[in-house]
Amino acid sequence: MSTLDVVDFIQQNRALADQVETFRDYCENEKHWEARREFILRNINDFNEEQRDLLLSLSMVWANNVFMGCRYSKELLEKVQEMAEGIVVENAPIFKTRDEIMKKQQVCS
Amino acid sequence: MGVPAFFRWLSRKYPSIIVHCLEEKGKECNGVRIPVDTTKPNPNEVEFDNLYLDMNGIIHPCTHPEDKPAPKNEDEMMVAIFEYIDRLFNIVRPRRVLYMAIDGVAPRAKMNQQRSRRFRASKEGVELMEEKSRVREEIIQRGGFLPPEDIKERFDSNCITPGTEFMDNLARCLRYYVADRLSNDPGWKNIVVFLSDASVPGEGEHKIMDFIRRQRAQPNHDPNTHHCLCGADADLIMLGLATHEPNFTIIREEFKPNKPRPCALCGQMGHELKECAGVAREKQGKNDEFADSMPAAEQEFIFIRLCVLREYLSRELTMASLPFPFDFERSVDDWVFMCFFVGNDFLPHLPSLEIREGAIDRLVNIYKDVVHKTGGYLTHNGFVNLERVEMIMQAVGVAEDNIFKKRKEDDENFKRRNKEKRKRMRAEQQGPAFLTTGQFAPQALGRRDRPEPVQNARHQAYGMRMHSNMDAAQSLKATMKNGGNPSAGFSDSRGAKRKAEDSDSEPEPEDNVRLWEEGWKQRYYKSKFDVDATDEGFRTKVVQSYVEGLCWVLRYYYQGCGSWKWYFPFHYAPFASDFKDINGMFTDFEKDTKPFKPLEQLMSVFPAASGNFLPLSWRNLMISVNSSIIDFYPDDFAIDLNGKKFAWQGVALLPFVDERRLRAALADVYPDLTPDEERRNSLGSDVLFLGKLHPLFDFIHELYRSESHQVSTIPAELCHGIQGSLNLDEDPILPDKIVKSPIPTLRDISHCSAINVKFKDPQFAEGFVFKAVLLSGAKIPSKVLKPGDWERGNREPWRPQLGFNPNRQQAHLNQSAFRALGHSLNRNQNVGGQYSNTPPPSSYRQGGFRPTQSSAHQPVMYSRQSTTPAAPPSFSGHQPPFTRQQQPFRAGGPVWDQQNPNRGGYQQHYAQWPNRREDRRDNRDPHQQAFSRSYPPPPPSRRYNWN
Repeated sequence: MSTLDVVDFIQQNRALADQVETFRDYCENEKHWEARREFILRNINDFNEEQRDLLLSLSMVWANNVFMGCRYSKELLEKVQEMAEGIVVENAPIFKTRDEIMKKQQVCS
Repeated sequence: MGVPAFFRWLSRKYPSIIVHCLEEKGKECNGVRIPVDTTKPNPNEVEFDNLYLDMNGIIHPCTHPEDKPAPKNEDEMMVAIFEYIDRLFNIVRPRRVLYMAIDGVAPRAKMNQQRSRRFRASKEGVELMEEKSRVREEIIQRGGFLPPEDIKERFDSNCITPGTEFMDNLARCLRYYVADRLSNDPGWKNIVVFLSDASVPGEGEHKIMDFIRRQRAQPNHDPNTHHCLCGADADLIMLGLATHEPNFTIIREEFKPNKPRPCALCGQMGHELKECAGVAREKQGKNDEFADSMPAAEQEFIFIRLCVLREYLSRELTMASLPFPFDFERSVDDWVFMCFFVGNDFLPHLPSLEIREGAIDRLVNIYKDVVHKTGGYLTHNGFVNLERVEMIMQAVGVAEDNIFKKRKEDDENFKRRNKEKRKRMRAEQQGPAFLTTGQFAPQALGRRDRPEPVQNARHQAYGMRMHSNMDAAQSLKATMKNGGNPSAGFSDSRGAKRKAEDSDSEPEPEDNVRLWEEGWKQRYYKSKFDVDATDEGFRTKVVQSYVEGLCWVLRYYYQGCGSWKWYFPFHYAPFASDFKDINGMFTDFEKDTKPFKPLEQLMSVFPAASGNFLPLSWRNLMISVNSSIIDFYPDDFAIDLNGKKFAWQGVALLPFVDERRLRAALADVYPDLTPDEERRNSLGSDVLFLGKLHPLFDFIHELYRSESHQVSTIPAELCHGIQGSLNLDEDPILPDKIVKSPIPTLRDISHCSAINVKFKDPQFAEGFVFKAVLLSGAKIPSKVLKPGDWERGNREPWRPQLGFNPNRQQAHLNQSAFRALGHSLNRNQNVGGQYSNTPPPSSYRQGGFRPTQSSAHQPVMYSRQSTTPAAPPSFSGHQPPFTRQQQPFRAGGPVWDQQNPNRGGYQQHYAQWPNRREDRRDNRDPHQQAFSRSYPPPPPSRRYNWN
């Protein structure tokens, strides 16, 4: 699903798209939300109504990983990366996690 | 407040606010401890009515102390907490109320900070464990010696969060403690004790504030109650000011920077874990039986007198020729508000306002400039006037560019100076490349054994020459043996030195924001928020949230929690210059928000690694791939150093908790709670305790006898005008009922004479506004600061007030006492003669306590005459003059370099002190030496001039 497809999809499924729009976090900027929305829309059909929160959670795992530098278990990361395949994020920020900083400081000392 | 620097700044700028506590210690007689009689007048020459304890400031140091070995188990922790409270009680000796508040569930706004602390603490704990076992292994392989590994489990300080079993247990222990003291300690017989444990929502200090605020607002309150609040947080000072009570004092531990800590592995002092060599301590002196115990420097307490701070502030804030009448109380509120810009627990601080750079002074200056234009104060009773705040922010915004440039400059200067200093220190440590030996060895001036005439000079010179040749040959051989790798040689080879030099220029953390360069705003928003500078909408959002935050924080301090739900949903603050058109940005908070339940809060602040404090199915939500809230619990997270050097100073980029999703996920596991867990998860109530002799006792006892389960109010005349409603406790402590001890080492209370009952603060109608004013009838305490026009009055010299009592009796020593003092002071020195100065105690060496040189003309330290006040700062002016003369040849510079007397700084002198003493000590018994000395007579009487 490319960006164009997303636009198409939204136009064809107005109601669903409106609902997805409510999942946006207040602090999410345009760029982050667009990517996460795509993540949600791509996978929404694999999750039924009850599992909606699980999908949201997975979308957050992915977004936190890409945009905030959070690390989760390998299993989980692989899962969301698979779900996110094909989503293009330009200029994703680069982070140093706490573990990396600590390791580096240890080597120095 | 998350600003450790705030208190330092405040105490430097307003030094007279601090009064050192006098503490009467319990005596021991034939092995029996005699407790201090706290019914006696307070030795600090002041009487306090109410003592409030922010318990978390006590629980943390008692459960995982930094400067002494940790308690072995929970029971020991509890006893340590009891002893700490006893100590405080003895110092403060409250006569009416003791209020103990443990942090309960905090508002959402605080939770993000708690979350980041707990995620970090969990990681730090694991790292320490790993480091420990790594070093331990290394040492044991090298054949080193270490005390056997203690079996005790690592204490996870994260359990100090409401809802855990530990907190539940603590509450139970404190009930026992209070019942015990009320029954057995005469100092407690007339006081009312309030215990607000972790089951009552709200942060400890804010529960205390709520109590004070609500008492003040009811007509029976005594406006001259003397409050004393214990806690180290800087925001207690703000809270105290915000009450507008004239008599408000804060007590806290004296902060001593760089206190030595024991090594985490072998428990000895003097090195860190990394450098632990696993050696048994060397016997160093005849008192070595104390080698394992810590030096007995118990943490001391200080009082912070807010009435003195108010005096200072009134000088600073009073403005003449205002377009509206000046009201000091209002200007204090504005000052408190401006301090929030610099830092608080709920909002990240503005990038341009750094307390170390004098941000508060800058704000005050701007405030005084702008106030003429604003036409009024910034705040009123905890409500913010945004239009006026915008003016302040814009004024800060104008300076922002320069602030950042200046910061960079200062930073560079600091680094350069540091580098030079290190270079100098290294040069000093190494000493000169060649040093004459034998009879040519350099000698210190002023020593009694003067150099002998040189004999056989040529032969000695030959010897020295040959010796240095041999050294060189040896080092060359070693180099060759080690395969030409010079750094592996055991002699002082060049390669090793070079390496050490390089390691000094520490790697700079990357900073791609570069606030000091043109375009900083764009870069900041891009790198911190990942948005383009053109995205005005997003920037407005951040500013709006920040504005809401400022309103929330001020409301929190003056009126209580405005909303349990509100929080600042970003990791960074906007710039001051972004605060444009903020007037309409905030109207009011959502009404009737409810705090989290304790276990819900645990779910939202704990990392998965602390999941053991939660029920199994709840814990599962933190780790399962199929959990619908798994995104709250990353294993590792990014830290943005944000211009700082260490990980703990940086911003932890943790995801925020989505309340809706959390509640939805928990709904499924709520049925799994056991009855006990359900009890821990429920909201509790404050509890009131008192003893048999209290006037209110019969009233409460009657409630239990008649089993009246309706709410009754306290008759005001029975309890110093304190109001509130009472309700029967389900499992009360009653007189003559045995109170079981929850701690095996402590006895049950068989003759209990205490009683307890549930207590609720006075309630007010919705929309009631607590007034931030002095109450009528409040007497302002007498002034402490020196009046500005003192000299013009041409009176006697000004004498500063050192304690609480303006007419303090001064201590006097007569001549013979002086001789005795001088005698015993000298005895410990082992140095004699003309230069027998008292060196500063070695503890002053640490922490950058630099003596100033200006007043260095006191020949002997104890020469202060009896007319001087009891405790002016000592030591500062009294360095031994001769250290400087000796110093140059340790510094490796040209000998007797008098041009350059300051090389090396004082630290160097002090560090060298013990060695030198060793050198010059001859084999005589120190006592004998002491007797062989002549004492200078006490100097003539003199008066300090304190102008």
